[in-house]
Formats: sequence, structure tokens, C-alpha cells
Amino acid sequence: MRLLLVEDEDLLRAQLVKALEDNGYIVDSVQDGEMGLFQANEFSYDAAIIDLGLPKINGIDLIKAIRSAGKVFPILILTARDKWTDKVEGLDAGADDYVVKPFQIEEIKARLNALLRRAAGFAKPSLDFAHLSLDTSAKKLTVSGNPVELTAYEYKVLEYLMLHPGQVVSKMELTEHLYDQDYDRDSNVLEVFVRRLRQKLDPEESLKPIDTVRGQGYRFNVPPN
Amino acid sequence: MSRPINSLTKYSLQQRLVLAFGILLILFLGLTGLVLDRAFQESIEASVEERLQLQIYAVLGVAEPDIDATFFVPDLEEARFSQIDSGLYAFIFDQHGNEVWRSPSAVNMLLSELNMTVQDIDPGQMVYGSTQTQEQGPMSFASYGTYWSSLEQEFNFVVLESVAPTDAEINEFQSNLWLWLGGLAVFLSLAQFVLLRWGMTPLKQLAQDLAEIEAGNKEQLGEDYPSELHNLSHNMNMLIQSERQRQSRYRTTLGDLAHSLKTPLAVISGVAQQDRKLNKKDMADISEQIERMNQIVSYQLNRATKTSQSKMLVTPVLIQLVVEKLSAALNKVYLDKKVKLELEVSEGATFYGEESDLTELLGNLVDNAYKYCQQQVQIQITQTDKSLTIIIEDDGAGIEEQYRHWVLERGARADTRETGQGIGLAVALDIISSYGGELKVENSALGGASLQVNLKTD
Repeated sequence: MRLLLVEDEDLLRAQLVKALEDNGYIVDSVQDGEMGLFQANEFSYDAAIIDLGLPKINGIDLIKAIRSAGKVFPILILTARDKWTDKVEGLDAGADDYVVKPFQIEEIKARLNALLRRAAGFAKPSLDFAHLSLDTSAKKLTVSGNPVELTAYEYKVLEYLMLHPGQVVSKMELTEHLYDQDYDRDSNVLEVFVRRLRQKLDPEESLKPIDTVRGQGYRFNVPPN
Repeated sequence: MSRPINSLTKYSLQQRLVLAFGILLILFLGLTGLVLDRAFQESIEASVEERLQLQIYAVLGVAEPDIDATFFVPDLEEARFSQIDSGLYAFIFDQHGNEVWRSPSAVNMLLSELNMTVQDIDPGQMVYGSTQTQEQGPMSFASYGTYWSSLEQEFNFVVLESVAPTDAEINEFQSNLWLWLGGLAVFLSLAQFVLLRWGMTPLKQLAQDLAEIEAGNKEQLGEDYPSELHNLSHNMNMLIQSERQRQSRYRTTLGDLAHSLKTPLAVISGVAQQDRKLNKKDMADISEQIERMNQIVSYQLNRATKTSQSKMLVTPVLIQLVVEKLSAALNKVYLDKKVKLELEVSEGATFYGEESDLTELLGNLVDNAYKYCQQQVQIQITQTDKSLTIIIEDDGAGIEEQYRHWVLERGARADTRETGQGIGLAVALDIISSYGGELKVENSALGGASLQVNLKTD
């Protein structure tokens, strides 16, 4: 999951980047509205965290600009102004949720998870497909009720595919959303992750949840419950 | 600046002017009437005396003495001397007061009634007076003393004239005079009233404009006042504008202050959470203290930004719009809960206050309802002439009776509250009390809590 973080306070930005990266997100962080808009227009993101009090372009205008550019990824507002007028203004501009400063990092993670899930059309904290269930808050997979261990990257690949069910996801898209820009992008590694996932999800090969669409990418083909 | 209010407010400007001009008018017209009346009477009296004098000269001119000290008066030009009881009479008395001649008109007159007309008058002296007679009524007279050298005797020539015609003339003049003056008084009063109203129109307009600004239908006073009021209206506009700007600047500054205080708090909180050397207890302590500081900052800044009660600067807020915006925002935030919101706002319901206060009040209460409901939230807003009632209900667990008064009281001061509680209700309570309203907590028919806000609007 690739996130855009726009926050002008250096220390806070660094803390958020670290906490989110520790949690498996890829984070692009910038310190003003102008750079935020540039990033949002140039790259594909799964979600954005935007502070309302930003230099150059303020948070509200940035959100409006992102929305009017047709971007639909969920946006979480960070605001020090906890007046309802400000919250309503932010949500009205196109944000999906808000967190008031000071906050617990855990709260940001929880809200972010919920937003990503919601954006994919899931109302509950777990993504359920047939007998597969991925708990996005605990980051745990169960198959027919039995917990299955996943590595961090296996989890990321599965979560991304499950959040885009029925859609063909190219290897390029997957790498972009799973790795940092400066990471060595070797698509063979992806193939390894997908093969291992297939074994863990469907050892008897009865469900075959992940299709390979030749020359295009992968598709999670089980309809959500 | 304490002045006895009564002396200033007892009478309106118009009443003062009407009263002052009314008194002046009555005094002026009354005095004018008296002076005119007096002058007319004096001129009438003067003309009567002149007439009597002329008649005496006429009698003197034709009177011829006989040797026996009687007189013969032939051919008086004035016909009334010859007509019995005509109202004009002439007598001649000798120096002993004995009548020596009377005009034919005076045959019926009693001599005894004329005593006072015969006085000791020096020759050449003319005396005027009035007397009362039985038959002929009140009379004016002139008496002239003369020395007749051929008879070597003094005589009194007396002419009497009935005052009835003169009185009638004076009476008519008086009734005419007062009728006209009364008419004039009525006309001037009406004219004064109309002129005052006309003159006061700009002041009335000013008062009306101020009322419109109070009601929020106008932003500022118009510029079309007469020159005397132009400065006043201009300065008032400046005052209103600068006060509005000052309030908005104040709010922005406090908002910025909140921002600049809370971002460092967020950083401290982040540092604490990422510091692996901290044990759980220290972490919890730090979090708790940060949360306390945060709540105090929020609460006090909220209090500070709350608008003053100055109605002058208030614009009416259509509640429907605010509630719709707010519920759209909350529906987004609580999307997973799929809350069923029933909204009932009486048409045109209006909040007379700052929009941010209403948003804050509703935001805090409705957010709680969304947070604690199972699936259903009801908002009912009704407005009457005197009050605005906001009822927010949910189907959650409700608030147990024993905690209700605690819920209502804890808004008093945020820094005395236990940690872990939101400041939302405290802020809402503060706003409600600053608008002179009240909050009640009851059970909802939905099963949860029912919060009822009553605000006076008159």
C-alpha cells in the first residue's frame, strides 16, 4: 500500500513515516501543499494523509484539487483545529475521515486500515472470500478458520489483491504499491510471493483464488462473501 | 457612566419636541389673544370717548342760554338725541347739580341714577366714566365742565351712551378672535406633528436599519442619511465592520494558536510511542498528561472563541443547511456503521448566533449520538416564536439516570474532569449556556439517550 503523507512539521512527519513504514506501508512524504499536489498527480496512491495547516496550498484546497483531478483514493485529515467547522469543511472538501492532533499512532493506523478497506467496498475489518479471511487490523490470515502464517511481503501482496477483487493488477502496479521507489524491482520476486501464497491459501488447489492473466498480471477471482 | 435613566428614557424625542412646542404654542397664542383682546377693547373705549366728546361739542355748539339760566338746544344733528330711549342722551346741569336741560331721548331717565355723572368739574375739563341705569342698562358717559360768561355760571354738559352695542361688538370680536386662534392652534399642532414626523424620518430609518442589522437582514447601515446623521452612520458602519473583523481575526489567531500548540504535543506523543526504552507505565503517564494538556488547550480555546452575545454582529443561520452538511460529514466518518438518520427540521428554522457556535454545538451532540447508537439517530428541530428546540436521540445504551446530572454538570470546567473523556459535551454545554439555553437528558423512545436543547429566541 502506497501512501502520500503531507505534513509540514518535520519531526511529526518523520515519526509518522517511521510508524507507517514499520507497519508495512510505503510512504511518500512531502512538507507542503504544492509538493503534495504534484505527488498526487504524478503517482498512484492507495490513500493520503493530509495535514490541514499547510504552507503554499492549504490542506482544504489541496484536497479539493486532488478530488477535482479525479483521484478517488481515501484521504485522512490531520488537524490541530478540533472545531467542527474545520472538520466539516475538510470532509466536505472531499476527505473521508479526520484525526485530531495530538493523536496516538495506533489511531492513525486503525483509521487508515478502515479507509483502505472501505475504499475497496468492505464494511467489516476483515476481508472475507469463501473460506479465506484476512484480518486487516491484526494482519492475520485464516483459512477455514485456521491461522496461516504470512511473511510481511506475502501479506502485502495478498491484501492488495484482495482489496482489488476481480481486477487485473499488473506486476508493475503491485511493485509500485508494495515497494519503495529506490527498491530493486525484480518481478521474479513477485512471482515467488504469488506462488507461495497460492500454496498457503489453497493447498488442495480446489479454489484457485489467484489467476495469472498472461502478459497483464494477476487477478483475485473469488467474489467477496 | 451612570445617569438617571428615567430622565433620558421617559419621553421619546418626538414626545419631547411635541410637548415643548405644544407648551410654546399655547403660551404664544394665549398671550397673543390676550394682547389683541386688550388692544381691541382699548381702541373701542377710545373711540367711545371720542364719540362722546364729539357729541358734547355738538351739544355745546348749538346750546343757547336763556336768561333764567336754562338752555335751549335746537336742531341737534344727531337724530338719536330726538328719539326716546335711543341709547344716546344729553343733559346740562348747573353748578348746583340741578338739571337745566335734557335731550328728548332722555325723557324716561331717572335723574337719581345720573348723580355720579355730575361732579365738581373745572371748566374745560372732560371726565369719562360709566354708570348703571335701571331702564337703559350700563352706560358710558362724558361730562364736560364749562363756564358760561354771559350767565356768569358754570355748567356741566353730560352725554350718555348705552354700551350695549359696544359690548356686542367686543363680544363678537372676542369670540372671533378665540375661534381663529383656536383654529390656528389646531392647524399649527397638526403641522408641527407632521413636520416632526418628517424631520424624524431619518432617525426612524436609522433605528429600523439597526433593527435589520440585528435581525441579520442587513450587513450595514445605508449611506443615504441626511448630512447631520451621515457621520454617525458612517462611524457606526466602521464600528460594526471593525468589530466583525476583530472577531474573525481573534478566531483565526486562536485557531492558529491551537495549531501551534497541538502539533508539538503530537510530536511529543509520537516520540514517547516510538521510544522503546519507555516502559508501559511511563508511556501511559505521558499519554495521559498529553491528553490532559490537549483537552485544556481545546477547551479553553473553544471558550475563548465563543462569540460574545452582541446581537448586532449576528447573522441568522439556516439550521437545515448546517445540519445537512454536518450529517453528510458524519455519515462519511461513520460509514461502516450504516447509521439510519432521521432528520426533521421545521421549515425556515433559524439560529440567531454564530454559525460556528451552532456547528460546534450540533457537531458535538450528533457525533455522540452517532458514536453510541446501534444504527438509528433522530434529529428533530422545532422553532416557535419564543424558542428553538433541538432533540437528538439514538438507539444506543442511553445514559443511566444516576449519571445524568453528572453528565450535565461536568461541563463546568474541563481541567477538573477525569481523563479519557471527550470535551465535546462540555463545549456543547458552554455554548448552550452562553446563549441562555438549557440541556436535558432523557430516555429516547428509540431506546437510547435523548438530549434536548432549548434555546430562547426572543
